[in-house]
This record gives sequence, C-alpha cells and structure tokens, in this order.
Amino acid sequence: MTLQECYTALSGNYDDVISRLKSERLVQKFVLKFLDDKSYELLLNSLSAGNGEEAFRAAHTMKGMCQNLSFTLLGNSSAALTEALRGLDTNVDPALVETVKADYLKTSEAISAFKASLGL
Amino acid sequence: MYILSFQVESLVLRSIGPFYGQKEMLKEKILIVDDSEMNRSILADMLADEFEITEAENGVEAVSILQNHSNEYSLVLLDIVMPEMGGFDVLAVMNRFGWIEDVPVIMVSAETASEQIERAYELGATDFIMRPFDASIVHRRVVNTILLYAKQKKLVSIVEEQIYEKEQNSSLMVDILSHIVEFRNGESGLHIQHVRTLTDLLLHKLCAVTDRYPLTEADISVISMASALHDIGKIGIDDKILNKPGRLTDEEFAVMKTHSAIGAQMLEDLPVHKNNPIVVRAYEICRWHHERYDGRGYPDGLKGDDIPISAQVVALADVYDALTSERVYKKAIPHDEAVDMILNGKCGSFNPVLLECLAQNALHVKNALSIDAQKTSKRQQIRSFADAVMQSKGGSASERTLRLLDYERMKHNFFAEMSEEIQFEYSAGTDILKLSPWGARKLGVPENIISPSENMALSALLGEGWWQRIGDLLNTTTPEKPECSREEQLLLGGEYRWYNIIIRAIWSDDNPPQITGAIGKAVDIHDARMRFNELKEKSIRDPLTGLLNRAGAREQIEPRIHGFPDHKYAFAIFDIDFFKLANDEHGHQFGDKVLSYIAQRLNHSIRQSDLCARIGGDEFLIFFEYDTDIHPIIARIFKALCGVIDGFEVHISMGVSEMQEEGESYEILFRRADQALYFSKRAGRAQYHLYDESMKDILTDREPDSDYEERYGESDPKDPKNPKNHETK
Repeated sequence: MTLQECYTALSGNYDDVISRLKSERLVQKFVLKFLDDKSYELLLNSLSAGNGEEAFRAAHTMKGMCQNLSFTLLGNSSAALTEALRGLDTNVDPALVETVKADYLKTSEAISAFKASLGL
Repeated sequence: MYILSFQVESLVLRSIGPFYGQKEMLKEKILIVDDSEMNRSILADMLADEFEITEAENGVEAVSILQNHSNEYSLVLLDIVMPEMGGFDVLAVMNRFGWIEDVPVIMVSAETASEQIERAYELGATDFIMRPFDASIVHRRVVNTILLYAKQKKLVSIVEEQIYEKEQNSSLMVDILSHIVEFRNGESGLHIQHVRTLTDLLLHKLCAVTDRYPLTEADISVISMASALHDIGKIGIDDKILNKPGRLTDEEFAVMKTHSAIGAQMLEDLPVHKNNPIVVRAYEICRWHHERYDGRGYPDGLKGDDIPISAQVVALADVYDALTSERVYKKAIPHDEAVDMILNGKCGSFNPVLLECLAQNALHVKNALSIDAQKTSKRQQIRSFADAVMQSKGGSASERTLRLLDYERMKHNFFAEMSEEIQFEYSAGTDILKLSPWGARKLGVPENIISPSENMALSALLGEGWWQRIGDLLNTTTPEKPECSREEQLLLGGEYRWYNIIIRAIWSDDNPPQITGAIGKAVDIHDARMRFNELKEKSIRDPLTGLLNRAGAREQIEPRIHGFPDHKYAFAIFDIDFFKLANDEHGHQFGDKVLSYIAQRLNHSIRQSDLCARIGGDEFLIFFEYDTDIHPIIARIFKALCGVIDGFEVHISMGVSEMQEEGESYEILFRRADQALYFSKRAGRAQYHLYDESMKDILTDREPDSDYEERYGESDPKDPKNPKNHETK
C-alpha cells in the first residue's frame, strides 16, 4: 500500500497535504504518529465522564491534527463535534459522536494497513 | 523613542546585514506551545534546520520558560486551546510582565472565528496562522517576524549601548565627586541617588505631557547625571556653617546661599571639558537650582522659564527628597504629605507643569525611590548592554560573561540535583510554584504548578490547610528577617515523613512592603528527628527503672505548673530506709532489685496523670494533682510502697509539700518536700510528713536543681562524698 492509497482509504486529500508539507517523508512520519495520539481516547472518556471542557479540548486537538494532515473525512466530523461541544456541555447529538467513531475507525484501519504494508 | 544620529545608522547598516543565516551566529530560539505532540512536531520539523526549538505542552510550561528566559527567545508559536492554561492567558501574562514587547507571538490555531483572531491581535499577537497550514507559509512568516523584531531589537541595543558606554565613562567620576560632597554635608548617602532618579522620572513625564521642552532621551540622561552635582558648591562652604545642627543666623545663611554660585564657578573654571554636555547641564543646575519660579530665588532672581528646565526639575526633586528624608534637624515627612506641601506652595514656587507631573506621577515617584527599583533599572541597563554586545560583532568580553553565566547556571543545577533537597520558588505575580527537577521527581508532581493553593496533589502531600499554614508562617517574617522554617509531615508513597521546610520570603520595597514570593527548600529530617526523639526519650529516663530521671521530671512538671497555675499540685519525695545497708549486705544486684520493685509499686499506685521519677540513687519523686484532701492519697501511696522483698523489709521515709498559694514554683515545692523528708528521717524514719511552716528552716544542703549530679556524675547520693549524707547519718 502506498501513502497515496492510504489517503484514499481514509478519505483524505493526499495532494493537499503534499502541497502544504512539501515532503512525503514528513507526511508519512506524521500519519504513522497519528495512531499514537491519545486525543481520541481522551475524547471518548471525557464524553462518558461528562467532562465537557476536556471533551471539547480533545475534539479540538483532533480536528487540528486532521486538518494538518488533510484527513478530510475525520477532520469534518470532528470539526462538527468540536462546534457542538463548544458550549462545554457533553449533552450533544449522539449521531455526531457515532460519525466521529466510524470515521476514526476507518482512518485508523487504513493507517494500520499502511503501516503493516511497510513491514512495521 | 530613540533619536538615531547618522553615525548610529551607519553602524546599524554594518552590523545588521550578515546577522541572519550565518553559520557562526547562534541560532535564534523559538518556543512552540501546543498540547498536541504531533502539532508541535510538525512545526518543529519545519523549522528545526534554521532555528533552535523549545517545546512546551501547555501555557503553564510556556510561562514558566519565559519567566526565566524570555529574553532568549526570538519567537513564540502559540496554540489557543490547551489544558492548564490556554493561549489567551499566556498572552495576558506576557502583557502583564512586558515580555510581549520583546518576544513576538504568532498564534497557530484551528480557530476560525473572527472574534478569536481579533482577540489574539488585541492581546498583542503579531500574526495568526490558521490550520491547516502550509509549510512554506509558516516558514516565511516565522522568518519575517523574527527579522523584523531582530532589527528593532538590534537598533535599540546599539543605541543603548552607545549611550551607555558614553555615560559609563562620566558616570563613575560624577558618582565619586557627588559622593564626596555628600560625605562632607553629612547627608544620607541616598540623597544624590534619589534626586537623580526623580529628575529622570520627572523629565520623562514632562516630555510626555508637553512639547514645550524639546528634550531627547540623551538629554534626559545627561541632565539626570548632572543632577548629581547640584550641591558641588558646598565644598566651598565653611564646615561650621555647613554642618551646624541648629538654625542658621542671617549672616550664616547668606554664606550658605553662595554655594550655588560657587558650584557654577567651579565648573566654569574647568580648564578642559567646558563644552561637555554634562558640564554644561551641571552648570545650569548648580547655579540655578535655588531659583524660584516666581523670581524670588537666588542667586540671580530668574523668573519662570528663564530658569533652565534642568535646574527647575532638580530644584523640585531636591525639595521633595529633603522633605521625605530624615535630617539632623528634622524628621522624615511621609510621601503624601510632602507632595501636598509642595503642591500647596509651602516649599517654594515651581513651574505649574512640573507640579502637575509630580501630582500625576505621585505613586510612581514613591516607588521609584525604593532601592529595588534602582537595582532593577540597573539590571535592565546591564542586560540591554549585554544584549547589544552579544549581537554586535567582536564582543569577546561579553561572550565570556555569558559563558560565566551559563557556567553559574550549570553549577546551580548540578548542586540542586546533588543536594537531594526539594527546592522551590514561588512568585505571587504569576501564581506559579517551580520545583527543582529532583524535587518534582521526589514528590511525583510537575516541576511547574500553577495556582498551587488549589493543587490536589500538593494537598495530598502536605495535608489540608497547608497553604494557610505556610502563609501564616510567611507572615511571621519581616523584610529585615525574611527567613522562616517549619517542620511538616509529608505523605510520600503512603508513608509520613518529617521534612523541615526552610523558606525565605521575598519582600518588595513598596511602602508598606509586601511579600511577592518565596524561595526555599524542604529537607528530609525524618530519620534525624526519629533518632533525636529516641535519644531525647533516653536522656530523660532512668535506664534501670524506666522512670523519668531528675531532668526529665522537671521538664515535664514545670509546663504543668505554669500551664495550670490554679490547679492544686503536690510533691512527694521519698527514699528507702537503710538502703545502703541492703546494698552492703546483699550486694548491688539486690539493691537494683529493690529499686526496680519500688518503681513497679510506684507505677501501680499512681494515676495515669501523675508523674514519678527516680531523682537520685534511692530517691524518688511523685508529682500529683489533688482536689480536696491530700492525706488519704499520701497514706495510700505510702502504704503501697512498703513491703518485704527477699526477707528485706522495705520502709521508706517521705516528705510531702502541697501548693499553698497559686503559682508556686517547682523550686519551692521541691525544697519543701525535701525539708519534710528530712523531718521524717530525723523523727525516726519509716514515716511521712506533710510540710508545714515549722520545717522552713531545715537545711537540706540542696537546691531542687543542684548540680551535684553534674559534679559527681551518676554517683550514689549516699556516697560519703555527697555532702548531704553527712547530715543524714
């Protein structure tokens, strides 16, 4: 699997990220790093614990990372959730959360497959 | 702000050109503040080739780094939404401490709302980069911003350096000269310094409120320096008049008044340097600092703005400081009162614009005279000097200074690490507690803690109310004696351990002074304290019987007598009859057995709240409290202590004293019990007596705390060397 194919699988914009960050090596490094980031777990935990402030921050961080990496699909859904959480109330439309979960799954599976194909 | 002469400009052109991108130059430092490691990493990767990167994962860390090193950073890249402390708060802190003036900030955020961006600019951010960002744009903007600021900084530094250098040469001589005058006048060593600071302050204010007096920064600096020479003419005044404690006669005053003309003359007669700006200004100041705005001053009776502005300002500064300082002939007048007096025209006639400057700046004036303010400005001067030298070429001296500074910092860190002490510093301004790396690891808390009073981890370590306890402790310090210490138990890894917390409060030089922070350390004294307790316990106990010894008894009894002077206490002292006989006949081991037996009986026959002690070889003391009738208690104890052990019949003789008046001392009660004991012995032993007035002349050869134990060590009181025994036998 190439990096470009990985981007297709996670519904991201490969051309955009390469034009911005300039180097395929850098993009690959950060894409692989994405799996280590704890924001997603923090988001889910904060939501179930009812901690609106923490949930907002986690969603916000995730949105920022997705935008940096041009992960369009997950970027959009986490941006929508971020806006919903801006009031710092965890009582948000469950559909928004479900979309983020589904998109995260798709994204992380694509990256894992890419990682596996690199023999890592 | 700064007037650049063409000479300075050419210097700038020579030195700015090659500063950026050259290998031998230091890399500019950038601080990246973002809670997402990946975001920091992306930015760092983009910039790492050309810049030295420091990362901070939240606002608290960022503030803490800037607090100590703000002048080292050329740029801050700042995220907005972060835990602990967000980006806007960081900007607010940077504003509060003025760091924003020197360190540009570029906000990097996924925030797109225009009010957020607006707010960032309002708080002084230089630029705003939106996510997702483009590598080349980030790079371009970072470089532009750094270039822009670096140019500005360099200009400022170069100008400052030039002025500073020029001033340096004269400043030393002026200081020495003015100090000589001051010394001869017997004035406080601070007068010159105060006049100089005030002059500087008033001139700056004056330039801000009016353009009637076109003064450059350099002019102000020269006038302030020249102000130090205002009384130089007093060198020509007779000592007897100059230092006369009482009021001057009219003739004497007339002589005194000549000092302004004399000073001016001295400067005018200088063979060289007559046209030096300092000398020119000093002439104005010396000659005319006793002129009055209304024309009624001396020596020339100049009026209004015929008096040079330099002399007008120094005259006002001189009067203010004279009022607020103590002199042989008067007390110091408080600041507010002094300002009122001046404004109401009680201390001469001044330019109304200058009076306005004083009134508007009243508080500032007061603070500026604090020693700290002067020190700070000195430090700032030196720092800008160091900055300039560092950035200009060929500054070998300052490189060495910087290396030394680095060395000092390294040394400090090393010793902090080796000392195994928890070191800390707290600043009330930022409300941040900084711990030494070793200390933070030891306590398992972050090195930087914002709002420590609300920190749960610290509460768990130190127990509830610790902030209040330490606060109370700090409030016991004074600016003269800022050190304090307190022993606290810390809960570390489930175990309580004793620490000695030693703190030095940082007092401001405000009036009244305030505590602005503290530095200190916590030292583990647990083992030492436990050993001390153990030793202390040992030192107050008799090893054979486990009872208190004489010193221990006194130590425990006295606080009770003093603590409850209205309680009724009694002393009973007894010894074992013919104990020496038993010792001689049956051996020392038997003697010890008897003593242990008595101690055991004693323990059983007194109440928990009573005390008993072995105060000598076979002598014991009982201290107890009673309510009404003492007799049944004594009878019971006396009876309990008699008995047969291994065929040896144990009898005791006892003397008892009860408290006759409130608040009687240990010594009195002890002596009376001792006298009653002697009475019992003389009456034939095996009995007890309560002290009464008839016994008051009995000599016992001993005071309650006689030093015979010290003199004879642990000697048996029945030893013939003990003078007491001559009487009992």
